[in-house]
Amino acid sequence: MFHSRRMWFRKSRAWSLEVDLVVIGSGAAGATAALAAHAGKARVAVLEKSAKFGGTTAVSGGVVWVPNNKHMPEVGIPDSMDEAVSYVTRLADGRSDPALIRRYLEVAPQMIEFIEGATPIVFKALARYPDYHPEFPGGKPGGRSLDPGLYDTNQLGAWKDKLRKSPVFGMTAMSVTEATDWGVFSKPSALPFALLGKRFKQGLVCYGGALCGGLLEALLARGIEPMLSTPVHELIVEDDRVAGVRAEQGGKELLIKARKGVVLASGGFEWNAELAARFLGGPLTHPNSPPGNDGDGLRMAMSLGADLGNMTEAWWCPSLDIPGEEYDQRQLHRGDFATRSLPHSVIVNRQGQRFVNEAHNYNDMMKAFFAFDPVSYDRPNLPAWIVIDAQYLERYALLTYVPGMPIPDWLIKADTVEALAEKIGVDARGLVATLARFNRFAVEGADPDFRRGESLYDHFYGDPSRVEHGGNPNLGTIEKAPFYAIQVHPGAIGTKGGPRTDGDARVLRPGGEPIAGLYAAGNVAAGVTGAGYPGAGATIGAAMTFGYLAGRHAAAAPATK
Amino acid sequence: MPEVEYATTMPLGRPVIWEFVKDMNNWAPFVTGYQKHEIIDDTDSIWTLKGDVGILSREVKLRAHITEWVDEQRVTFTLTGLNEKVDGGGVLVMSDEASAAMGEAEAPAPPPKKKRRWFGRRLVDWFVRKMFRRVHGEGPKRLAAPTTATARSRLSFTLRMDAGGPTGPLVNAMLGPALEPAAEDLANKIAAHLERVHLGTDAQAA
Repeated sequence: MFHSRRMWFRKSRAWSLEVDLVVIGSGAAGATAALAAHAGKARVAVLEKSAKFGGTTAVSGGVVWVPNNKHMPEVGIPDSMDEAVSYVTRLADGRSDPALIRRYLEVAPQMIEFIEGATPIVFKALARYPDYHPEFPGGKPGGRSLDPGLYDTNQLGAWKDKLRKSPVFGMTAMSVTEATDWGVFSKPSALPFALLGKRFKQGLVCYGGALCGGLLEALLARGIEPMLSTPVHELIVEDDRVAGVRAEQGGKELLIKARKGVVLASGGFEWNAELAARFLGGPLTHPNSPPGNDGDGLRMAMSLGADLGNMTEAWWCPSLDIPGEEYDQRQLHRGDFATRSLPHSVIVNRQGQRFVNEAHNYNDMMKAFFAFDPVSYDRPNLPAWIVIDAQYLERYALLTYVPGMPIPDWLIKADTVEALAEKIGVDARGLVATLARFNRFAVEGADPDFRRGESLYDHFYGDPSRVEHGGNPNLGTIEKAPFYAIQVHPGAIGTKGGPRTDGDARVLRPGGEPIAGLYAAGNVAAGVTGAGYPGAGATIGAAMTFGYLAGRHAAAAPATK
Repeated sequence: MPEVEYATTMPLGRPVIWEFVKDMNNWAPFVTGYQKHEIIDDTDSIWTLKGDVGILSREVKLRAHITEWVDEQRVTFTLTGLNEKVDGGGVLVMSDEASAAMGEAEAPAPPPKKKRRWFGRRLVDWFVRKMFRRVHGEGPKRLAAPTTATARSRLSFTLRMDAGGPTGPLVNAMLGPALEPAAEDLANKIAAHLERVHLGTDAQAA
């Protein structure tokens, strides 16, 4: 029943290395799986395709979303299992197994206890970072998202330069708590740049870098040195179970035996245009993750007949480009979290019309970009543009721009709305009418069309000073020339479809039985939150929880000979 | 304000070096991150460089303005950022060195001794240099010069950059360690090129 190549391996295998568990990928899912397995006395190898440790997690915000976490009482926010289940179930929109949702929410707080015991990381509950639908039943105004704080990379010794750094957050070492307190988007000119420069020199990192730094330090302390630049090409099957991997290092083939199993934690398929076009529910053209996320884990799972789930979904995120800005030799696509939420900005389609609450959470608002017109057989909301005016640039940050700096040449500029519309290929009459209507809403402080500024979530990325004056923190007129535009593209932090797993993160066949010895956690797997994005760090919270489950289960599994 | 100086010596006379250096088209591709340049007039030019700012790579447009031009001796210039709030300048200086003894193989002389830096700073510089080499490749390898050389010249390059605006302190923290390898790279590439052309040493064979 096996592929002939696998049979060849079995007959002539000469293992380069033998361990209990092979973990493919070094993001939060993989690192947590490795630590959990090691805690269960398993010998672990972590294989990372790129030359850096940390995967998608390292370039992320590094926040971990865990309902009922131990730090919520510290900020006075109560929570319950029932509330969490109710909330996540609604957001999953029928795309996730209810038993798996419950399992995730039950185990996640234990995972946090484990991580804080096994690593130098001490999380802090973000009391003011709301869930992404805080008004839904079971939603919370804050506390479920955990901040890993700052991390001193000097603790990593020779591994310091092997920790992946975020192209966006990697140079400004401020914790999420600080970023919130300092008004990173709404009061950018007041940021303590001298302190940030000092921290940069000192080697401090934040966000995903801090989380991955702490995880890496813990791995190294246990003698687990991640094998970097070591892509895995194939899962090796013996006696109807995954028994190892065929990897490559320095141009040489490595056959690594995994006596207890293999954990796929290799990220999503967002950089694989062919897989993205085949599976996703919308055109994903501008992924925000490291370019190595090309679906190799998905392909390996498919090759063993894994059942798949949630394949149309991604952690969607509107993205902006600064031409010429590169990361890992590819154009960097920056996720946009604030520009569209701050006053004096709006998003329009090619008709010059608004089509969504711009300030809504990035995952869900992105879906409006994919609206399909069956008559014209196209997507009328693509391409789309963020339009701002001089008032915006006088007050707020925009990607690398901070007030007081030269106006970026990557912004398209015009002295009138009509001229701007012509420059960006948008219907001028439509844009003029849209801005007139939007300006009226801004003055009135309410947006009856799309309800921008109603949710506590919208406020988080808005300008709180507006509230102090009785205004809407997300609305401001667009009327002061010059006017500017930047194209907003369909992006994603990662995909979240892949092999379906059970409550121990074991990969399942279509019939529901597990593929022996194969686990999956993180963006490579079918996401437990289905279509939804419950709150900041829901990606990493689920990834670490199922990584923890995988590592724990594998460590307790019987070893093959 | 981050400022660096790097100097190297060549077994060549100043006129030979000047003949090459006076035309920026000759050495423009040796500038770290060079993308393109446009000569506006005798004193001004616009440069597009792709620089590594911390972790990512970004295009910077600079206007270079020559403020002093002394044939075979020095070129002083200012730099003004066109798309970033950054200013700076520098000076390229050529001077004579005493001739070395005939028949003695000559390796490039080390730069003048500088005050020894704090260990942490040296560690940061080592790391940045390592990263710089990884991204931009190894600098030119210079062979010992042939024994026929009779003249020696010193080429020194001073460069300073200062990021302004509210983010200035942060950008300067990132710029500082990156300047030294950039200055070193330019001086060494010019020297390696001239040695190859005029003395027949082949850097590629090293």
